[in-house]
Amino acid sequence: MTAPIKHGVQFPAERARTTSFNEASARMRLELLLDAGSFLEFIGPEQREVSPHLKIFDLPEQFDDGIVVGRGRLDGAPVLVAAQEGRFMGGAFGEVHGAKLVGLLRAAREIESIPVLILFDTGGVRLQEANAGELAIAEIMRAVMEARTAGVKVIGLIGGRSGCYGGGGLIAGCCSALAVSEPGRIAVSGPEVIETNRGVEEFDSRDRALVWRTMGGKHRRLLGAADVFTDDTVQGFRDAALRLLDVVGPYGLDKLKAEQIRLADRLRSFGACEDAVDIWTAEGIVHAEDVPELPADQFIALADNIGRTSRDAR
Amino acid sequence: MLMSIDAETRTTAATWQRHREARDARIEAGSRLARGKIVEARDATRLMEAVIRPGDRVCLEGDNQKQADLLSGALLAVDLAKVHDLHMVQSGVVLPEHLDLFDHGVAKKLDYAYSGPQSARIARMLFGGKIELGAVHTYLELFARYFIDLTPHVALIAAVSADREGNLYTGPNTEDTPTVVEATAFKDGVVIAQVNEIVDRVPRVDIPADRVHFIVKSEKPFFVEPLFTRDPAAITEGQILTAMLAIKGIYAPYGVQRLNHGIGFSTAAIELLLPTFGEKLGLKGKIATHFALNPHPALIPAIEAGWVQQIHSFGSEVGMDDYIRARSDIYFTGPDGSLRSNRAFCQTAGLYACDMFIGSTLQIDLQGNSSTVTTSRIAGFGGAPNMGADARGRRHPSEPWLKAGSEADPDSPAALRRGRKLVVQIGETFGDKNVPLFVEKLDALELAEKLKLELAPIMIYGDDVTHIVTEEGIANLLLCRNAHEREQAIRGVAGYTDVGRRRDRNAVELLRQRGVIRRPEDLGINPLDADRSMLAARSIKDLVRWSGGLYAPPSKFRNW
Repeated sequence: MTAPIKHGVQFPAERARTTSFNEASARMRLELLLDAGSFLEFIGPEQREVSPHLKIFDLPEQFDDGIVVGRGRLDGAPVLVAAQEGRFMGGAFGEVHGAKLVGLLRAAREIESIPVLILFDTGGVRLQEANAGELAIAEIMRAVMEARTAGVKVIGLIGGRSGCYGGGGLIAGCCSALAVSEPGRIAVSGPEVIETNRGVEEFDSRDRALVWRTMGGKHRRLLGAADVFTDDTVQGFRDAALRLLDVVGPYGLDKLKAEQIRLADRLRSFGACEDAVDIWTAEGIVHAEDVPELPADQFIALADNIGRTSRDAR
Repeated sequence: MLMSIDAETRTTAATWQRHREARDARIEAGSRLARGKIVEARDATRLMEAVIRPGDRVCLEGDNQKQADLLSGALLAVDLAKVHDLHMVQSGVVLPEHLDLFDHGVAKKLDYAYSGPQSARIARMLFGGKIELGAVHTYLELFARYFIDLTPHVALIAAVSADREGNLYTGPNTEDTPTVVEATAFKDGVVIAQVNEIVDRVPRVDIPADRVHFIVKSEKPFFVEPLFTRDPAAITEGQILTAMLAIKGIYAPYGVQRLNHGIGFSTAAIELLLPTFGEKLGLKGKIATHFALNPHPALIPAIEAGWVQQIHSFGSEVGMDDYIRARSDIYFTGPDGSLRSNRAFCQTAGLYACDMFIGSTLQIDLQGNSSTVTTSRIAGFGGAPNMGADARGRRHPSEPWLKAGSEADPDSPAALRRGRKLVVQIGETFGDKNVPLFVEKLDALELAEKLKLELAPIMIYGDDVTHIVTEEGIANLLLCRNAHEREQAIRGVAGYTDVGRRRDRNAVELLRQRGVIRRPEDLGINPLDADRSMLAARSIKDLVRWSGGLYAPPSKFRNW
């Protein structure tokens, strides 16, 4: 239940515990996720680095182009951060938006020792600047892998209202580890795209229970695509990020091979399943159909029991 | 001599029962297809052809929520040589089949009240002359006419279950059924019910068997649309601000306890602010205790927090059944425990026993007339005009009613002064897709000109509206003394719309000094406080948690 309202001054930790990550803006997420007052923005809105494409379509621009990048501290240790604003054009990747994230990741690669947190909230590439956006996705994926090769941990946090779709889903797949909440969704093709291309019999995008059990946070956690599941609070994501930074190991060829084996194994085990509930049943969950209704704490206990996450892979 | 008078009297007596004889002949024809009262679904069309005559008035239920979908499909398939030119008298034109009847020539004339999902097509068909329109009614008005000049010859209704005698259980969505059956069965009409199942004993008798002539078992349950579920996740800060203004600026000072809410997001925000913002203002028990209202999921937190004492409902809402059963102190339920709704009674309650209606609209003009009609859509009125109208026949006093009356007419002697129902329109100055709420001329007027209607489809007349709430503040139209003041009061809360920018600044400032217009700061409300964290529930899942797991939202509203 939503916490009781307290007006007036609240301590940041208290606010982080009571603020929904899903509902918060990108800036609010960063403010409450990082140590109080530690955030410093790069290429902030005062520099007005807006999209060069949107005005051609007579569409409104945003001075930060829908992504906030910078540095801050997490429990005293330095981190580089990027947060997408899902309320501006669905958090979609455009030219400037993408370049800011590429620049952040390349800086991380040069520094080598400071981890990167990416707070995804995106529907994918911005259609109005599709070529630049697609290029940006490719550059970001390369930058993530280069940063990881240089020893940088890249953690994705997924719980925004736009989910993590399209190119965002591809980038998330490149990260060292992912944390997800129930409302968070991770996929490449979105529900409407699948329905449009393959028909409503294949996927009914208006059946929201179907959407969530196929792409939602609980399923992604049980499948091992996400490493940590958290309740939908900013504090929850802060704790998850700290935990992942602690457990993620070094990246190299061995890890890449292990990831290949993990994915092949997954396909072998569940490739014939028609529905997520079949997968959960195959994983040995007794009342699999009840999974969507489980409260966060019970689900976390269940997911930890199933233990799909492989520390060797990714 | 005496003999001849007797003979004459007898023939006269016989001609006084022609309708009953005709009804019996129809039932006789239909009975050939039935075992007892039960007709197989595959014979439903033949049953229609046996029972319905060309030109009949037919009520095809056709409610706000539930639809006799099997029977509408069966009627659509009739042989036009046997059944044609029907006059449809039904409150809801909701399914595509309802309009296909006119395209195919099965039906010709239409009297209705609400056409939500078909509003665009019905407009096209009216323009194209495909439908001969009787009138667009309010629910209560159409129900009234069922008993005077629009009595159905045949009623095609929907129920959850029937026993073999024909007793019907309508389930939580009783809605229009008792009214339709009353008018049809007691005036020599034929009643055909589709049911989801035939049982040995119905859970409760909503319609007694002697009013039901044929039963058709449907393969799948009748269609019901969840119309009253508003996802708290979609409520904006602007709507929260208007909701705060309404609670503090209208509910509190008038002490409104008995009321009806519209179905928009602003009123959903009010429902979700009662246990938080309302609690902080110390209003619990003083406002919003008795409702004429569908079972809105958004009201669950206020119910759980002990705000609400009683709710009577027009219909039900998908997913609320178990919650309602478990909260029978609040809702009207049958001996079986499930909700008993009744649209006619609830509309009457909304008209006569409520002190306030508050709801959203699409357009408001300078006189305060409001309409949900646009030039390409005729959605009908449903119940809003009954809720949102002063009941001139009302005679019982109440504090809000008397206070509103004294504001409108301060000079008359109190004992002779009529009270006034509070009729509140709430919305943001720019609505969906940034379309302005305020207009110089309603689209409804243009539509009336195009269709040559004698009456423009006005949902709520300006002289019934008492308050308009926007993010700019509250305009109290009761305190306006002439048309000029009224216009400036409306312009004064119309913000940056064209209507708002053409305000007379001095006049608006004077109205503010008199309290006719009250800005958020005049009410001690800081717009920056209007934050989603104030909502008692911010998602459908929060509502499920508030309900202790009793509320089971339909799949389209889930995000888990």
